Amino acid sequence: MIKSIILSGTDLSKKYGDLEVVKGVSLTIDAGEFVCLVGKSGCGKTTLLSLLSGLEKPTKGRVILNGKEINGASEDVLALFRRENVGFIFQSFNLIPTLSAWENVALPLFPIKMTSEERQRRATELLGKMELGHRIEHLPSALSGGEKQRVAIARALINNPKIIFADEPTGNLDSSTGEAIMGILNKLHKEEGVAILMVTHEDELAKTANRLIRMKDGEIMS
Amino acid sequence: MNLRYLTKELYYQKRRTLMSILGLSIGIALLIVLNSLSLAYRQAAHVPLKEIGADITVQRSGDVPKDLAGAVFPCSAVTIRKEEVEKIQKLPGVRGIGTGLLLWVFDPNRAWIVLGIEKENSIGPSLLRSSVTEGRFLEDGKPEALVELAYARQFGIKLNDTISVADNKFPIVGIIDASRAAKIAVANVYLPLKEAEDLAASSKGLQSVSPYAPGDVNLLFIKADQEKITGLASEMKGILGNKATVATPDSFLKLLGSLFALSDKFTLAASLIAIIVAVLIAFKTMAGNIAERAREIGVLKAVGWTNRNVVSQLMSESVIQCFLAGILGILIALVASFGLSFMKVNIPIPWEMSPNPHFLPGGGDQIFKTLRLPVHVPWSLAFFAVLLSIIIGGMTGGLLGRHISKIKPSEVLRHD
Repeated sequence: MIKSIILSGTDLSKKYGDLEVVKGVSLTIDAGEFVCLVGKSGCGKTTLLSLLSGLEKPTKGRVILNGKEINGASEDVLALFRRENVGFIFQSFNLIPTLSAWENVALPLFPIKMTSEERQRRATELLGKMELGHRIEHLPSALSGGEKQRVAIARALINNPKIIFADEPTGNLDSSTGEAIMGILNKLHKEEGVAILMVTHEDELAKTANRLIRMKDGEIMS
Repeated sequence: MNLRYLTKELYYQKRRTLMSILGLSIGIALLIVLNSLSLAYRQAAHVPLKEIGADITVQRSGDVPKDLAGAVFPCSAVTIRKEEVEKIQKLPGVRGIGTGLLLWVFDPNRAWIVLGIEKENSIGPSLLRSSVTEGRFLEDGKPEALVELAYARQFGIKLNDTISVADNKFPIVGIIDASRAAKIAVANVYLPLKEAEDLAASSKGLQSVSPYAPGDVNLLFIKADQEKITGLASEMKGILGNKATVATPDSFLKLLGSLFALSDKFTLAASLIAIIVAVLIAFKTMAGNIAERAREIGVLKAVGWTNRNVVSQLMSESVIQCFLAGILGILIALVASFGLSFMKVNIPIPWEMSPNPHFLPGGGDQIFKTLRLPVHVPWSLAFFAVLLSIIIGGMTGGLLGRHISKIKPSEVLRHD
């Protein structure tokens, strides 16, 4: 069976002044593949994730995401592209403190013309899948760490993305909650067929992925 | 712009919202109060003339006879010829003229300040009709007199008595309380204009220094178009010469000596300062608020908000906050104006406009018109303040939004 490539980065480099954080990295991710990027703190894995997701532009190299070369695109074009193709999960959840759980999930839909009822229906449905159906009107301050991350995962899924970028998604959670979150990500990958690129420094978590990429000093080791 | 996000942001970030609204509202309130106060001083300056139904009064100064006997003109009000009055009447912007003839009458045993008045005119001293406390007002074609209440009490003059002024007998048909009337052209005795003209025409002393013919007057009370008052004042001086005294609301404003009365430029400068303060407060508070939200902006951009989406959201928040600040500013200004409206202001009436011989009791005393400062917030000013607040909100929100929207999500979203 031939799998299509959802993401490819070729000869990617990123320099901040004289410091080269990512050094000529090339990688591809297939549609529906769960890839873990592992390495010690400061090895450049978060920067590589930012380059691959279009949050940051590479100093050199090119990124093709869902068939579109994104490294030459303008800020607004990139934002629109992310809205339609990409989901993000962050270590510190990054929920908007003044919005309820369902509103946080619907945040990527706010600039899109649709009724508030439709946004709420889609967000509530996803929160239900995350077993948070009873918490839809709660503010982030009223949610536990695990619940917050599940809201963040629902937010990443609201636009039916082709790929989810997860940056240390369990980093702020205790081990049992972390495992639960990993369970959800695995289920998403298996049942929904969403590709996932996850950055972590924990080898144990990375073992559940289809593929593991190790980074050291801005380069891919294996 | 998402209304739900906007309202929740303003509601849940109460400290931020209140700080922004309070800061700007103080600047806006300052702007409104300054302008209301300035307007109040201007309105107060209109009162002395308004009470006599005029916008301008005109006199001409001259000489008094060496020998003070019989009827004479005060040195501040000598003859204004009939032809000059007609010229003034024809000036564009003059809506009506009232006339008066003010005399000092020195009888062997008493001195009188006598004012000859028109009986029917809505401009000038005939407005005293409403100040009659006893008896009646003057009637056509009758040689009769009104006496001022305080003067009547001082000299025991009663209604229906007969007084002799420059050897002319006048029955007292009414007592007038001049303290309730305008402080301009106050007299002891009020006669029909015709009778005063006869007194002036027959006085040799008066004729010797200021030739007078019946029909001439020495006081003019003029109703004019408001926007033409300043121009008319100079034209009248042109007609009457450099000895003319033309009193306008502006001349009373100068007499008030208040900071607010100095000039339009002061109010303009103070308003500009208030606006700049308001803008700086709004800008500083909102800049702080938006900077606190850098991470949030990064999230919005990461999940697909364009720069335009971000700017329009922040601008809408800013406009709503500034609109509310404008409304609060108006409320603060209304309270402050209410407090200031209890302030009393003394408007000095120049001696020339109500000349008492210095040697009479109280003759040299400064006369004041005392009134409560009419401070209020006009609708137009309130509307302007709200409009200005919205513009400030749009500008600050737009500028700060554009600045913060350039933020790179990757810079603010790196995990801790």
